[in-house]
This record gives sequence, structure tokens and C-alpha cells, in this order.
Amino acid sequence: MSQPARTSLRGATAPAYRATVLTLCALGVGALASLAAIGLTDAVVWLNEVLLIAPRARVQYEGAGLLVPLATVLVPAVGGLLVALILKGLSPQGRPLGPPDVIEAVQFERPLPGPRGGVASTAAAMVSLGFGASVGQYGPMVYLGAMIGGLVRRLRLNVPNLPAIAVACGVAAAISTAFNAPIAGLVFAHEVVLRHYSTQAFAPTTVAAATGYVFANVIFERPALFLVRFGGVEHGHEFALFAILGLLAAGLAVVFMRLTLWIAARAPRTGVPAWLRPAVAGLAVGLTALWLPDVLGIGKEALRFATIEGAFAPWELAVLVAAKLALTALCIGFGFAGGVFSPALLIGILFGALCWNLVAATGLVATSGIAVYAICGMMALTSPVIGAPLTTILIVFELTRNYDITIAAMVAVVFSNLLAHRVFGRSLFDVQLARRGTDLSAGRDWARLAAIPVADRCVPDPMVANTNEGLDTARRRMARADRSEAFVTDADGTFRGVLHAEAHGNSWEEALRPPDLCFDETTTVMDAMQAIRGFVGDAIPVIDSRDRRLIGVVTEAAVIEAYLDVSQALRREENAVL
Amino acid sequence: MRFSSQVIYRAAGILVALALALPGAGRADEPPLTVVSWGGSYEAAQRKAIFTPFTEATGIAVEVKRYDGGIAELRDRAAAEGWDVIDMLEADAISGCEAGLLAPLDPQALFGDDAARLAGDMAPAVIRRCSLPQNVYATVMAYDDRAFPGVKPTRIEDFFDVARFPGKRAIRRSPDGILEWALLAEGVPPSQVYDLLSTDRGLRLAFRRLDSLRGHIIWWEDAATPPRLLEEGKAVMASGYNGRFFTAARRDGAPISVVWDGRLIAHDVWAISATADRPEAARRFLRFAVRPGPMARLAERIPYGPARRSALSRIGLGPETGIPMRDHLPNAPQHGPRKLVRDSDWASHTRAMRQRRFEAWLEKGGDGG
Repeated sequence: MSQPARTSLRGATAPAYRATVLTLCALGVGALASLAAIGLTDAVVWLNEVLLIAPRARVQYEGAGLLVPLATVLVPAVGGLLVALILKGLSPQGRPLGPPDVIEAVQFERPLPGPRGGVASTAAAMVSLGFGASVGQYGPMVYLGAMIGGLVRRLRLNVPNLPAIAVACGVAAAISTAFNAPIAGLVFAHEVVLRHYSTQAFAPTTVAAATGYVFANVIFERPALFLVRFGGVEHGHEFALFAILGLLAAGLAVVFMRLTLWIAARAPRTGVPAWLRPAVAGLAVGLTALWLPDVLGIGKEALRFATIEGAFAPWELAVLVAAKLALTALCIGFGFAGGVFSPALLIGILFGALCWNLVAATGLVATSGIAVYAICGMMALTSPVIGAPLTTILIVFELTRNYDITIAAMVAVVFSNLLAHRVFGRSLFDVQLARRGTDLSAGRDWARLAAIPVADRCVPDPMVANTNEGLDTARRRMARADRSEAFVTDADGTFRGVLHAEAHGNSWEEALRPPDLCFDETTTVMDAMQAIRGFVGDAIPVIDSRDRRLIGVVTEAAVIEAYLDVSQALRREENAVL
Repeated sequence: MRFSSQVIYRAAGILVALALALPGAGRADEPPLTVVSWGGSYEAAQRKAIFTPFTEATGIAVEVKRYDGGIAELRDRAAAEGWDVIDMLEADAISGCEAGLLAPLDPQALFGDDAARLAGDMAPAVIRRCSLPQNVYATVMAYDDRAFPGVKPTRIEDFFDVARFPGKRAIRRSPDGILEWALLAEGVPPSQVYDLLSTDRGLRLAFRRLDSLRGHIIWWEDAATPPRLLEEGKAVMASGYNGRFFTAARRDGAPISVVWDGRLIAHDVWAISATADRPEAARRFLRFAVRPGPMARLAERIPYGPARRSALSRIGLGPETGIPMRDHLPNAPQHGPRKLVRDSDWASHTRAMRQRRFEAWLEKGGDGG
């Protein structure tokens, strides 16, 4: 159906035109997404300073009586109220948008939710992060980048796959800028958003990631985020420890993701009105922070401390892991806008440090120090949450600029990913999508087939009869049209049965047969593909399950054609060169 | 309050200007302008580069008084001794300004249309409410070359390593600098040092590192002391200001080597006391002292970098040593990447807290000497 349109579309634009459009889009989207990411980061840093969330600001007011404790308790709660107001008043979706929305839009070639929802979501994320909620900044940044890339769709530039590629460009540039990690940005866009590697998409995404890097590194001179000094893994047996650490981290990651989903699902039943929920979560963060200031905000200081021996006592690490995990799940479940990536980094690094402490306390095995275990834990916990092992490995490399740590983290990451994927699913994003009815776990093609209702593929001229007309009239019409069966409804359109040309009987009741197979409005092309195995008839009625009305009729050929269309579109996208 | 003090200050300025405008208003028996500085080789360099040329150019005599920094002295001595212009560490100037001990400056009134250009030339140093940046200095570690005939200390970690590099350490009796070094020695990148020192945990870590030096410390308070302690063999390593070590080593031939790794870079500023007797002359002095010429002359005599970029290109050979001085400035590129730029606002606003913790640490170990 869409094939002729595509062919003409391809014919209409020359490769040189497409190359120009793709390059300009990559540069433009890359630059804007990068600036937006820098703007969001700086706004959050500024808010953290002004609102006494950042330790560096708090310590300067330590002598000012109750100011710091009051700010600690009240700022996150007030932030929660603001977030609820922003989302309720400005966002058509009424909820924060994030990576799952981006994945969904790209995988199903749909437009992203309108810019208003995106802007509201970004503003809410800025407030959430700026006011110290325990959420991450990278999810909102990914959405911000995607939103900027999503604007390209509106330009109608007649380049196949351009909307998805432009979104991927925005995502790549945002990650590239945020982490100062262009390779990770490029891979993240492919691994999480596009989920295929084609030359057509790879080239512009790379350009966008490099643009982000230029902005972050050359123009604004941002330092690498997390430099770590590490001399190398000293003992071979430690790689086994890294693998075990990976498996343990996977367990914790699953707990974290399950808890996040569970709280989100339970939130409406708590009796707390939606507009008050973020404030309640904020209050919980503030009260905890009176005792454990490390839970406030992104926790850059705690990230660093976790790599220093003796900075935390083992029990402090255990308490912080539990507190950060619970508060992050609460903040996200109760409606703060923000991601799970940075909290996962923090929980993971504390967990890694804790594991090292336990190993070191036994005195049984020699180790190369706390730093490498902390970083392995950090990445092993994060990787299953975002479902991107390759990205995670590259992020370690680009954040720490340390090859030895990367190799160690790689081992922990793959084991963690393997276990968590088996037990939980590919990522928190994918499971969130699946709960909204979009299941990507069986692959892109299956998901896309599952997204097309078979009712959309009804034949234009079905043989339909009505019990109002006489049985003979219907039989004559069938003979004239040379059809072997007709689908019969009564006067108000309710489906009654199938009339076969050879069926005997003098009344409708005697002549009608129930159909061999019937679909309803929820049947997807994927369901239909499964159902028509062994089906010998030529048409299948689609009946509304609510009122038994006949929606239409699909043929076996139409189902197969839909399947071929999807496969072809995917094949074209995945193998596109330019 | 700020408004009214400014009004009074302006009015005083106008009165002084009027007094000066009166013909022959007793110029000969005017009291000299009192400039307060840090003594030693630094003050000597300032005399030649700034004070004497200023007197020659304006006919205003300069009397130099000495102090060791800090705002306690400013509070106690400024009014009594008639301090006019003070050479201060930027963090002290911020505290002094907030305490009302320093007179606010109006760059527009001081420099007219040049104010914006001057601010651009001084960036990243900033003209604050009560202070004008004058030079960039570094707190560095130095060692007695005779003490380590084999492997020499090269990194800030070595300062804390009494096993590999045994001997006494001369450290300023203040939490400034040594806590930063303690965290650098823990592997904290310079960009995060102040974030971490802002937390209780960070302070505990820093003091834990300092614990490793217990019993090996000689405290100093006067900036001229650390090179002397090294030269006399009383300490093997010392914290101190790069200019002082340079003068001792290069001019006086002391066997001292400077380690630039982990240097702590900060700004030195000019400020005018709120109780200045001669505010108009003080402002004239400031206008003179921040010109690129005097800044470069100072840097030729003692390697403190000029706060103005335009002064950098004017720096030549040291007049007494014949050494090209640009290579010895704290911001010279060959000194290596690990440096920490002091956050003066932070330092000013956390002084009391850090001092309290520092005193407690001293108390705990009976290491108060």
C-alpha cells in the first residue's frame, strides 16, 4: 500500500539532495541539542546553588541558623508542588515525557508528542533537578534532544527515514554533550533509540555526536565528568570478582526497576491527590537529607567519595544504597520529572564500593583497590536499567579516560545485562513501554506488526449481505459477483454469519454458518499472521467485540501484504545507504 | 546601610577633592599614604616596581606597614595605624568587605570609560565591590634539595608521604591550602576539591590525610619563614608562596626546588580601608598600581603573574637575576596540568567553619605548636 508512495518519493529526491539534507540536519540538530543540554545542565547547577542544594552553596550558609535545614526540607517539597503545577497546567499528557516516548515514536514512525508537552516536561525536569529531587538529568536531556530532532519532521523534506534519523541525531548530541562522550552518544542513539545500524542513519548520528562534542569540549571547554586515576587490574582472579559483582548488581538493578514500577502503579491508590504526590516525595527526600545529605539531587560528591577508600563506612554505604534506591523510586513513581540514569550511577557506585569493602574485610583475596570495583558496580547497575551494555562500556571509557577500568567494567556490565534481561527485561524503558501496550521484546518487526490493527487492512469491496434483503436476492448478487461467500448482518449491522454459495436452506437461519475464523477490533496484523496458519478460506470478518457489528472483511492476502510492507519498510530502513 | 555608607564615602571624597583643589592647601606637610603589605622579598619588589615610581609620579610619599594577612589584623590595626591601601588575599578582601572594614570601590569613578576594558583585561579575575585584582600567586610545595639526594618529590602525594620522604614539613598554620592538598593527594580532581571540602565527609577525609603528618609538622605564619626553614635544614618540605621560594633559590642561591604539581592559584588584590585617612590618594595609588607597566615591573622582580593579560607581554628579564621571568609565573604552561584555582567566595564564607575544624584537629593531636 505504502510502497508506490515510497518509490516515487525515492525517485523524487536525488542522492546529493538527500546527502545535503541529512548533513545539515545532523549539524543543525546536533548544535541545538547540544546547546539545549548545556543550558539545562547550567540551569540545574544554578538552581542547586541558589536553592542551597549543592554542598558548596550549603556550607557557605552553615552559620546562618536554621536556613540550611529549612531549605533542605522545604526546597524539594516546593519543587514537587511546582512540578505538579507545570505538568497539570502546561502538559497535554499531564506526565513527564522521557526515553520511552522517544523509543516509541522512532520505532513506529510516529511523531513525538507535541512540543508543548515536551517543553513542559523539560521545565518540570529542570525544577525537579534544580530543587534537589532524587532523579536523573539524562532522561530529560535525551527527550530534549529528541524533541529538537523531532522538529525536522515538520519540514517535510522528502528524505526517507529522516524523522527517525533526526530524532536519533538529537539524542546522540545530547548524550555526547552531557557526558562529554561522543562515541557513547552515537552508540546510545543506535542501541536504545534506532535499534538498527544503517549507513544512512550512522553517518548523520555521528556528525551530530561530534557536533555535541565540539560544543561541549572546544567551545565551552567542559572537563571530562569523572576522571579516575587507576593503575590497572593487578590480579587475574579479580575478573571473576567483577563478573560476580555484575551479577549482584543485576539483582539490585531488578529490585530498583521493580520498585520504581510498583510505586508508580500504586501511587494512584495511596489516596494522595496527584497534584500533591511530588511534594510528598520531595518532603521525604528533604527529611532524609537532614540526616543523609548525600541523597539530595544528583550527588556528584557521593560519586567521587565512593571511589576513595575509607570515605564511607560499610554500613553508611548500605544505608545510602537503600535510601537512594527507595527515594528515587518514590520520586519517579510520585511524579517528579527526571530520569533513572544518574541515580542508577550513584546507587551502583555505592554498591560497588560496598562490595569491595566486604571483599577487603574478609582479607581472603587481594584486590586492586576500591576505585575499579566502585566503577564496575556503577556501570553494572546502570546498564540493565537503560538496556544498553555497549553504551555503558563506552561511557566508562569516555568518562574515566581509563582503559584498564573499561576492561574491568565491561566484564561486570555484560554479566549484569545477561541476568537482568533474563529476569526482568531489556530495560526499564522497554518494560514501561510494554506496560503501556507496546512490546518490543520480540523485535522491531513484531512490535510494528503488533501495532497495526488488522481492521485497517479491510478490503474495500467486501461481499456483504443484509437479512433485510431476501435470501435469494443475496444468492443472486453472489453469483453475479462470482463470490463464494457473503458476510451477513442484520438491519442494525450486527454480524449474523457467513453465507456460502453452496449452502442449502430456505431461511437465513438455515443457510448461515458461523465463520471459521473471525477477528475483532483489537486483533493486530501480528495476531492475524499467527491465526491464518492453516486457514483455508479466503476472507475473515472483523467483528466489533463490544456490539458484534461487522467492521469489515480482511483477506489472507491483505494480511500477508501488511506483513510484507512492514518487513520491507524495515529492510529498507536498516539497509539504507543514502 | 550600604547606600548610606556610600553616600558618606562619596561626600568625604568630595570634601577631600575640594581640600586638594584649594591652592597650596598644605601639600608639604601632608601625611604619607600608608600601604600595608607582606614584607620580605615581596615588599622589596613592590617598592621598586610600584611604590617608588608612584611617589616619583605623584609626589605622594608612601609609608609601608607589614602584616600577615587575615581580617582580624585589619579589624584591630587599620584604624589605629591609619591604613589606607591594603594588599590582601582575595578571600580576606571579600570577608573584609562584607564586614564593612573596606571601602567600596566604584570602577566607573576610578577608571571612567576604561572600566569595562579593564574588567575584560583582568578576566577571569574579577573586580569586586571592595577590591581590584593585582597579581596571581601560587601556593606551592618546595623541598630542600640536600635532603633527597636520590629520588626527589614530584607530586603533591609526596608531601604526605613521610615513609618515602622522611623529614619535617613546614605548613602554614591555617586550614587554607593544606586541606585542598590533602584531597588532591587522595586523587580528587582539582575541579571537585571545593565541592568535596564543602561536605563533612570531605573534611574528615582531608584531616585523615593530614593525620599522616602528625608529629612531622612545623607551623609557620609569616610568609618569609618557609624558605628560611628549608635553607636552615629545619624542614625538608614546605608549603609557601612561589615568589618567596623563587627569590630564595634564584637570587639568594638557597638549595630549594619548587614542585608545581597541585599548585593552588589565587589572586592578590588591592583594597582601601574603610577608615583610610587619605582616600583620594589611595584611589590614585590604585589607578597607578593596576597599570600594565607597574604590574609587569613587579613580575620581573618576583614571579607573581600580573592580573592583567596586557601586562604579560611586557614582562622581560629580572633586573637583578637576568632570568626571563615569564617562565616562572604561576600560570606558565610548563608547570603541568594539576592546579587548583582558589574559590575566594567559598574560602571567605567558610573560613570560620574551617578554622574551627582545624583548631579541633590541632587540639586532638596536641599538635598545636
